[in-house]
Amino acid sequence: MTETNDPLKGYRGRARERLQALGVRVWSEVRILNEEGSSFEGVILPRSETSDDLHVVVKLATGYNVGLHIDRIREIQELGFKEAIYKIPEQEFPESPDLPKVTLLGTGGTIASRLDYRTGAVIPAFTPGELYGAVPELAELCNLTTRKIFGVFSENMGWEEYVTLARAVGDEIEAGVDGVVIGHGTDTMGHTAAVLSFMVQNSPVPIVLVGSQRSSDRPSSDAALNLIHAVRSAAYGDVAEVQICMFGPTSDQYGLLHRGTRCRKMHSSYRSTFRTVGDIPLCRVSATEFEPLTDEYLPRNSHRRVKIDPLYDDRVTILYYYPGMKPDIVDALVEQGYQGIIIAGTGLGHVNKPVFPALERAIEKGVHVVMTVQTLWGYAQMYVYDTGRDLLDIGIVPLDNMLPETALMKLGWVLGHTHDHDEVREMMRHSFSHEITEREPHNGYLILQGGLPETEEFVLSQWK
Amino acid sequence: MLGSLHFPLANLERRAVEGSIDYEQVGLRVGLEVHQQLLTEQKMFCRCPAGLYTEHHDGIVLRHMRPTLSELGEYDGTALMEFKTKKNIVYLLHKSNVCTYEMDDTPPFIVNRRAIDIAIEHCLMLGCDVVDEVHIARKQYLDGSIPTGFQRTAIVGVNGRLPFRGRQLTVIQVSVEEDSCREVRDRGHLAVWRTDRLGMPLIETVTGPELRTPEEVEEAILLIGRVGRSTGHVRVGMGASRQDVNVSVRGGQRVEIKGVPQASRARQLVHSEALRQVELLRLRDELHRRGFQRPSDIDMEHIDITTLVTDFRLDSLRRENWERFVEAEEMRPGMELAEGPFSVRAIRLPGLAGTVGRASQPGRTFAHELAGRVRVIATLDQPPILLHSDDWPEYPQAGEELKEIRQAASCTPDDALVVVWGVESDTVTAAEEIQLRYADATEGVPHETRQALPDGCTDFERILPGPDRMYPDTDSPPRLVSRARVDRLRVDLPEPPWGRQA
Repeated sequence: MTETNDPLKGYRGRARERLQALGVRVWSEVRILNEEGSSFEGVILPRSETSDDLHVVVKLATGYNVGLHIDRIREIQELGFKEAIYKIPEQEFPESPDLPKVTLLGTGGTIASRLDYRTGAVIPAFTPGELYGAVPELAELCNLTTRKIFGVFSENMGWEEYVTLARAVGDEIEAGVDGVVIGHGTDTMGHTAAVLSFMVQNSPVPIVLVGSQRSSDRPSSDAALNLIHAVRSAAYGDVAEVQICMFGPTSDQYGLLHRGTRCRKMHSSYRSTFRTVGDIPLCRVSATEFEPLTDEYLPRNSHRRVKIDPLYDDRVTILYYYPGMKPDIVDALVEQGYQGIIIAGTGLGHVNKPVFPALERAIEKGVHVVMTVQTLWGYAQMYVYDTGRDLLDIGIVPLDNMLPETALMKLGWVLGHTHDHDEVREMMRHSFSHEITEREPHNGYLILQGGLPETEEFVLSQWK
Repeated sequence: MLGSLHFPLANLERRAVEGSIDYEQVGLRVGLEVHQQLLTEQKMFCRCPAGLYTEHHDGIVLRHMRPTLSELGEYDGTALMEFKTKKNIVYLLHKSNVCTYEMDDTPPFIVNRRAIDIAIEHCLMLGCDVVDEVHIARKQYLDGSIPTGFQRTAIVGVNGRLPFRGRQLTVIQVSVEEDSCREVRDRGHLAVWRTDRLGMPLIETVTGPELRTPEEVEEAILLIGRVGRSTGHVRVGMGASRQDVNVSVRGGQRVEIKGVPQASRARQLVHSEALRQVELLRLRDELHRRGFQRPSDIDMEHIDITTLVTDFRLDSLRRENWERFVEAEEMRPGMELAEGPFSVRAIRLPGLAGTVGRASQPGRTFAHELAGRVRVIATLDQPPILLHSDDWPEYPQAGEELKEIRQAASCTPDDALVVVWGVESDTVTAAEEIQLRYADATEGVPHETRQALPDGCTDFERILPGPDRMYPDTDSPPRLVSRARVDRLRVDLPEPPWGRQA
């Protein structure tokens, strides 16, 4: 929340002039008489800066807000002034020597928060005391420490933030915590999970990213349960990798732990938005149990020494191929100095012929071009068709079943280490954290088609 | 709130027993919140069809509600109460009438413009001043009736007047809001809701507390209904119109009787509630006389008596009887029962002998007030919900068994005794709620929302929430209402019912 001393916060133009002339300000308790003779008693609220300059917003005694047109206001009488001061209630987080130590790193997503009723802004709860006030169950799970790394929306995360975050994770692990939880907005959580999978290697303990799809100021929010699942996984889980912990089904039932390199946000608003792609999730976690779904992971081991490797080159991009793509777009990227291009190609990893010469020019200039598939599921298998073979001949590196976003984060990280074509190729094709898997299990691709009798029968027998 | 009665108690006592009271003497004041569904093709915040009901489902969702912190850094009383119930809330979905908006997996779309237009028409009929900008608010409900945990609602007009019996009835506000789910069942820790009705637009007309008799209440409901129907833009038929009736007597408190389906039902409900408030004020005076002046003067103790009553003849207290429905020989599903050991709990109410069995509504006693809280908040809903010493059931050895329990609970003859049973943690909640209800009784009438029973009485539904449960809907931008739009809608208004009568 940004603090401001503007007594007419958010009001512009005519509304501002009129309110100034009438001698009232935001938080004034007023009685407003309009031209119809109606009287409105309430508190003048700040105005959203994106709204017009013709209305005054008043919170009535019933708690409802209404907007009144500035030209229809006959008079305003100030009855008092009542600035709202908000504070999250803090209760001391109880310390229990026998419980594991967990650190929650904050990046800006709000896992627990409270709405500022008057402005509609969300005040995040973040200190252990505030979190304890909101989600008291946490005290039964661990001794919690919190550290605010930054406060940004997840779309504003970038390479500098990734480095800071990776170092912070390293510091916490060196300090001996039993698990790290990272609170993160969900939009780019997959990207952060992928890049941390490369920057934080050899972790002795779980590193769990968590967020919420329904903001935590609402009673039906998934935030508290996600946080409980994530803290449990960090404190007691066995997977010492970077993972995402979010709802399995949309029902309040269990969470899933997804591997950081194989996970994607698949719905703009569903609670169960994160899905492991091309594989199965690591584990199912509920408020009381863990149910491991695989044993192929790096297990917790307190003797292991973490390695933080936060190098990067941010001159990388994704080119999402579409039919009719013109070569000039590739030339433009090269001209602008991009050093790495991830192609999300069609089918098994293809682009159209006219783009070939541009790709060839790019590679000749030392740009690293790699191929992933926009189908998300399945492998880039470029030897199957002539198109693919031609692309391989040009020097495009196929990345098998690496997800496009994971490939982007990885290429940025790799280019922080080397620009040598062969070394880049080798690092990109080496699987550090299951970003490429040799085998795709048949249940790694399950998108049930709604409407079919067998699907409907299954859906009806399960919580959605 | 401590108010004193301005009428002779002795007179009142006789009348209360007879079931009739002088409404003017007790200062009856009633206001209405009349809800009418709007005749729109689509729902209010999504494009699902409105008015398409189904009795089967093809998907289910499980949710739980958590209270969010209030403005003053505390939990809203209602929200906290509803959180105590630890309800498993199940929603039944059918593709024909819900999308991912109703299940709270998609944010709202822009509010239905037609719904706002109809609300404006209704405002104009009632002489309301239409607001210039409609701001959508969220009104919190944690009982599960809405999957988000709040109802989206907005004021469209204020300060209307309704000609009524030669005077002007104040219309405080007209709002437009989304309808809630239909309850399928609510037993123990499990509430099941059908979502077909959820999200249909409705208007709420709120009147001032200016009605003075049950007859006036019925007449005013019918009149407001006619105003809505005169535009031809509201729905008619079963469930299309429902009202909340706010009742108080002098020295009492506003109590909301929720979801009264027909105007004719309102008369008896208002009467029973007036009587109830008068009786609760008398109970308050009695408690004061006994030295219970403030809520903090009420102190109770409770103990587990499971072992003691194992071989008692009173079979309501048996575990196996609690685990099945009384009405059907069917076991309760696990989600209805909390986890934990079965417990029978005796609660000693020091100095309160004779108060549990005092009259409240016609044919009911204060025990019904206690049972309401226990049923809703502790979710112990197996009839008879609780037993108490002022009215112990009659059966062979009843006297001996009651005596043994009283002894175990260290009751003196001045003490009342209440027994509850169920999962241990729920029985503890029940004991706490009984103490809280008595604490409220020292202040008179608690601020409650009550549900209408078929016999014209009411039962506890929840603590009446305050303005703190309202907050802006950050998902919906304010909608402009231009004067040109209002004037355009004014042109086609029908003649109001009172115009025709004149």
